[in-house]
Amino acid sequence: MAAGKAKRGSRGRRRGRRTGFIIAFLAPTLIAFCVFYLYPIVTVFATSFCKWDYTNIANPEFFGWDRMWENYDYIFNTYPFFWEALRNSTLWAILGAAVQIPVATLIALALSRKVKGIRIVRNIYIIPNMISTAAMGVIFLQLYNPSYGIVNPVIRLFKKDFVDNILLLRGPAFIAMTCAYIFFTGTTTLMILGNIMAIPEEVREAAMLDGASGLRQDWHITVPMIKGTLRTVSILAATSGFLLYNEVYFLTKGAAGTYSISYVIRELAITSPRTQFGRANAVAVIQILAGMIIIVALHLLYSISPKRKRKWSK
Amino acid sequence: MKKKMVSLLVAAALCGTMMAGCGSSGSSADSSATEAPAQAETQTEAPAEESSAEETQESEADASSGEQEILEFYHGYYQDESEWAAAQAMRDIYDAFAEQHADGPVTFKAIAVENRDDIVSAQVAGGSFPDLVDAGNAGISLAAIEQDLIYDLKPFIDERGLQDAVGLNYTQHDRDGHIYAVHDQIESRGLWYNASLFEKAGVSEDAFADWTTFGDAMEKIRALGDGSYGYIAGQGSCNIVNAIMATTEAGRGMIASDLTEETINSAEFAEAFKTAAQLDQANGSAHTTEDNGNLMADFNTNGTVGVLFNGVWNASAIDASLTDALEPTIFPGNVAIASAGGGLAVANGMSEAKTELALEFIEYMTSAEVQEKIFTEVQANPCNTTLDLDALAEASGDPATIKLARACSLVNGADIVVIDMSYSWGSDVSSAIINALMECAVSGTDIDARFEQLQKELIALIG
Repeated sequence: MAAGKAKRGSRGRRRGRRTGFIIAFLAPTLIAFCVFYLYPIVTVFATSFCKWDYTNIANPEFFGWDRMWENYDYIFNTYPFFWEALRNSTLWAILGAAVQIPVATLIALALSRKVKGIRIVRNIYIIPNMISTAAMGVIFLQLYNPSYGIVNPVIRLFKKDFVDNILLLRGPAFIAMTCAYIFFTGTTTLMILGNIMAIPEEVREAAMLDGASGLRQDWHITVPMIKGTLRTVSILAATSGFLLYNEVYFLTKGAAGTYSISYVIRELAITSPRTQFGRANAVAVIQILAGMIIIVALHLLYSISPKRKRKWSK
Repeated sequence: MKKKMVSLLVAAALCGTMMAGCGSSGSSADSSATEAPAQAETQTEAPAEESSAEETQESEADASSGEQEILEFYHGYYQDESEWAAAQAMRDIYDAFAEQHADGPVTFKAIAVENRDDIVSAQVAGGSFPDLVDAGNAGISLAAIEQDLIYDLKPFIDERGLQDAVGLNYTQHDRDGHIYAVHDQIESRGLWYNASLFEKAGVSEDAFADWTTFGDAMEKIRALGDGSYGYIAGQGSCNIVNAIMATTEAGRGMIASDLTEETINSAEFAEAFKTAAQLDQANGSAHTTEDNGNLMADFNTNGTVGVLFNGVWNASAIDASLTDALEPTIFPGNVAIASAGGGLAVANGMSEAKTELALEFIEYMTSAEVQEKIFTEVQANPCNTTLDLDALAEASGDPATIKLARACSLVNGADIVVIDMSYSWGSDVSSAIINALMECAVSGTDIDARFEQLQKELIALIG
């Protein structure tokens, strides 16, 4: 009986120590999270219901319960660039996941082949990723320059009298901006490649013995095994597409229907001489919510599991 | 056991890191504690006696600790001399002032930064203002004025009789009887044209009689068919709107005040926008940019553009081979654009010694001696109206300075001189106008429809 009690006591102490360790390990991260993420998010959310502009920059004032949606009302019903920005950012998010990830996966699969000189190719492939997005914006500005860029001469092959600046044409400007970021998949490719390389060689050998090689092996073995990473990089690509800013700033400054949500936030908070922090934060809240929806949607998409199919096939 | 030891060590390391983090935040808390009185001073409107008591305490504390006060001055002349010689000339001017006051009770510290507007915005959002700043294109922060963070310079200017020294600042920066900034240079804008190209195209100087003759002249240049084009549109086209608005008394009134719905719906604004848009469309979207700098070489170096809408400072950017060809003039209708813009602004509520030095710096920057340097070395239009720019240019013998003097004289002597509307209407408004103009430059764009859309955008922006 006493031995049992002692045993229970030492188990309790052990559990207590373990809890202590867990808290000790998590505490720094939790504190950092609360200070650097949670607090600003709560502040952004709270102040989106406040009058907060140049007239009261140090003291945001709550509108009151009857007028609490005033900033949102302005953003949804009056501000001229919000819907355009939301549509563009959402499209860039979708394109990020739908175009960037397949491209990155194909490249990663190609780079994972054991071919002579592949290491050099891998390193060369990564170089453009070391260029900042700001510098990339400037480079693309030159590419799209109607006088000496390379895009207009290509268009002229199909339309001889084309002389316009494609960054000023509604529609083509959006495509041009998309091309300025969507094919730069270096980091994503590296993440996928790392995961592909981590697949045990025995699995591949077993697949080979079963007669699966080349593309069939990629499709039936490799891709399913890296699904977790694909989900992660899809979320990263979609969110970075949704947050696009530098390309807008350097290429069009929002002209020709190319506003993005991030650009709108800067316009309201910084460019506007009236320093409209409250309204900018209302847009930021929508950005945060939309980001969360994107993450949940991608999780759902990736969880449409082939397992069910298997169940049905049983 | 080993695992336990490793866990303990890792936990200890993590705690250590955390403590170090806390330690550093503690020290930053300490430093913010030392900064706190200064911030409190800027935020509160304490009674004079109280604040002077605080200041005395502060200076006594400084004296007892033997530490010198520092007056931090943020400016945007960060470029290397090889990149932009004017930046070095400005830094030299600042350094000379710092040297003159090296033994004083306050140290003058000039800090060159690329993002001074962001620094000001961030500080203002936190309820403070840099000791001294040369505010850039964003102009003087309304939020800072509303919070009473900026020192009113008007009593000082009046007391010292500096009205002529600060020139246009005295009227244009007057805000309900207060002056919150003094810009040592006036942003003077007219236009530059390529006389050789004009001659080649058979265009006379009558091209600048009005906007119709201007459009005809641009057409003739385009007709040369050698790759030459009329003008660099986009950012520059906003100046066309500005100048056309200035040709009527009603329009001038609208430009000089805040943008209202009445202005947006006015015939003057419609006329100005549509004229600029038609000129831009004829000019072509290929020669349209939201940043003049992207195509400036076509004018200053390649000589393939007829007209460049830019400030007088363009004199120093002209390639030596084109010095004789490129000439300054002003907008049709004898209109020029001149703005005090941003300028030197001083924080409110600093210690007496720091405020004194900041004011002395403003007097120094607007003094004839420094203003001469700003004209001859920085190649800008000085704010001091007592200088004889032509004489200074002749004395310098430098062709670029002579050209600058001509450009400045044209602007200063224009029949109509108006403010740049991006300062009076706000940079968000001017960027919406520029975007609309750029879209109109695309062939086939319905200008009337785009203008209607712009009106809605502007009404929403000012809402």
